[in-house]
Amino acid sequence: MLERITQGEVALSGRRRAQLLFLMDNGIYVVTILLFVLFAFLAPHFFTPRNLVNILISASLAGIVTAGYTVAILAGQIDTSTQGVLAIATVATALLFQEAGFSLPLTVILALTAGIAAGLFNGVIVVNGKIVAFVATLATQGVMLAIALFLSGGQTITITRAGLQEAVFVRMFGIPSSVWIMFFCYLLGWIMLTQTKLGAHIYATGADYRAARLSGVPVDRVIRIALVISALTAALTAILVTARSKQSALFGLAIAGSVDFVTALTAVLLGGFSLFGGVGRIERNLVAVLFLTILGNGLQLMNVPTGIVLVVRGFALVSAVILSVLRARVA
Amino acid sequence: MASDQVILETINLDKSFGAIHAVRTVSWKVYQGRVNALVGDNGAGKSTLIKLISGALAPNAGSFRVHGQETTIGGPAGAFNLGIAAVYQDLALVESRDVVMNMFLGSEMTRGVGAIFLDHKGMLRQAHDVLNDIHARIPNVREMVRNLSGGQRQAVAVGRALIRGGEIIIMDEPTAALGVEQTQEVLQLIDTLRKQGKTIILISHNIQQVFEIADYISVMFHGELLGTRRREEATEAEIVAMIMGRRAP
Ligand SMILES: Nc1ncnc2c1ncn2[C@@H]1O[C@H](COP(=O)(O)OP(=O)(O)O)[C@@H](O)[C@H]1O
Ligand SMILES: [Mg+2]
Repeated sequence: MLERITQGEVALSGRRRAQLLFLMDNGIYVVTILLFVLFAFLAPHFFTPRNLVNILISASLAGIVTAGYTVAILAGQIDTSTQGVLAIATVATALLFQEAGFSLPLTVILALTAGIAAGLFNGVIVVNGKIVAFVATLATQGVMLAIALFLSGGQTITITRAGLQEAVFVRMFGIPSSVWIMFFCYLLGWIMLTQTKLGAHIYATGADYRAARLSGVPVDRVIRIALVISALTAALTAILVTARSKQSALFGLAIAGSVDFVTALTAVLLGGFSLFGGVGRIERNLVAVLFLTILGNGLQLMNVPTGIVLVVRGFALVSAVILSVLRARVA
Repeated sequence: MASDQVILETINLDKSFGAIHAVRTVSWKVYQGRVNALVGDNGAGKSTLIKLISGALAPNAGSFRVHGQETTIGGPAGAFNLGIAAVYQDLALVESRDVVMNMFLGSEMTRGVGAIFLDHKGMLRQAHDVLNDIHARIPNVREMVRNLSGGQRQAVAVGRALIRGGEIIIMDEPTAALGVEQTQEVLQLIDTLRKQGKTIILISHNIQQVFEIADYISVMFHGELLGTRRREEATEAEIVAMIMGRRAP
């Protein structure tokens, strides 16, 4: 009898816990829609086709890098080398296309290859060096930034040759290709994570490395692949950013303002992911990226000073961290 | 019982962790289709021995014979290929994944070319079948493992071992953390496995339990295997004496 009562109570609190988790995980959808409606009323020129496309373009640049970053997080790897990969790939794109006069496809392939190489490098340090990704990638990022600095001679490389920006921002149905590429990345990510063996292994490795290893999951290979995917999407983003701004955007900081490790991190946390890996859905991150982009865009249109926009973004990260901690406590 | 066949044999197996000599030249026979109990005090080396058998640890010396063939284990995957599947003391389940994904972790069913895409339906069906076969009571196989009871978890872990074609199922203190009712559930599970012809290696602290379920009882003491007794021929007093280090006459 006593046992039955206790079980009932557990079941009840279990349901309540499930409800709370559901709210935390899906709240991002509601908040994003609310923010969108709010700005549509408050911010001048927000709800115009031109601005909506602008939002999508900004979101696409942050979104692509976040997609890969999410995969690394799911595998339990906090990849902090994003800026380094961005720097290498942007310099590679500008040098190869502008200085070396390579064709567009070759430039793209080589810049992506540079990203893959960077990801493999991260993998070697993390897996073979047995160093926690957060620390290892902080170190490798330093190396990557140095390489980018060396290759570019510390100069911003301006792209005067035609063909790059035009090709990368071709519009289909009025929407630039970078946006399509972003949706494609998330679709691919969703399929990979939910429908493939690799995806199952990524979740398991991130959630419980030891259990996954004992179950015969090739955990080291999974970590390597996740780090390569993360670097690859960073390189892809770098190509798009370089094409958009027609110059090598050296050292990440200058890159499109919003494409950085912190944005990716904020989006991942807002999306209901655990920093410890193994939990979360990639589609929520897409929404979280849209949320952050809409936030920045709307505030800008309302002529809020940049300093305050940065503070608001900072608060977004803080709330995201709190949300993530709360979630871990409830789960 | 005289016709019992040895399915697995360790030969002079040895394992040290630095200065700790956890397993000392152990030669052990495991009998096919039987419940082979391994008992001994805390730190006697039981878990280490079965980790050597399941490929979770590599021995410093010694070898294995499986189905009469001399072989090496070579990691957890190698053990699975030999039909050896361990249910670890902590079960090695991934808390935030559901029952089905846990049961197939590391041996997922796939469809299409290249074994890339998961066969979610196939896995769901087989998970149901396997859990039914072992009479497990798990209402929802899409439930996350973290929400399951101790007995249910044990069933999931055993289900995983069976899915991998486990012929030799290793269970390390499966009832240590369980209440009376769930302990009974696990003992029934072990009996069900035996009736299906599986070989079970059972590590336990609980002498009564061992006498209730085991066919063979082996005792370890300070890393050494002191001996193996048929259950009918052994007395509790004798086994307890061995556990305390008194070598059999
Ligand atoms: N990974 C390890 N590293 C160092 N010492 C270990 C390790 N695993 C087990 N030991 C030691 O080996 C001995 C045997 O442990 P174990 O096999 O777990 O015994 P049992 O399962 O019989 O309680 C103990 O002294 C234990 O502390
Ligand atoms: Mg033990």
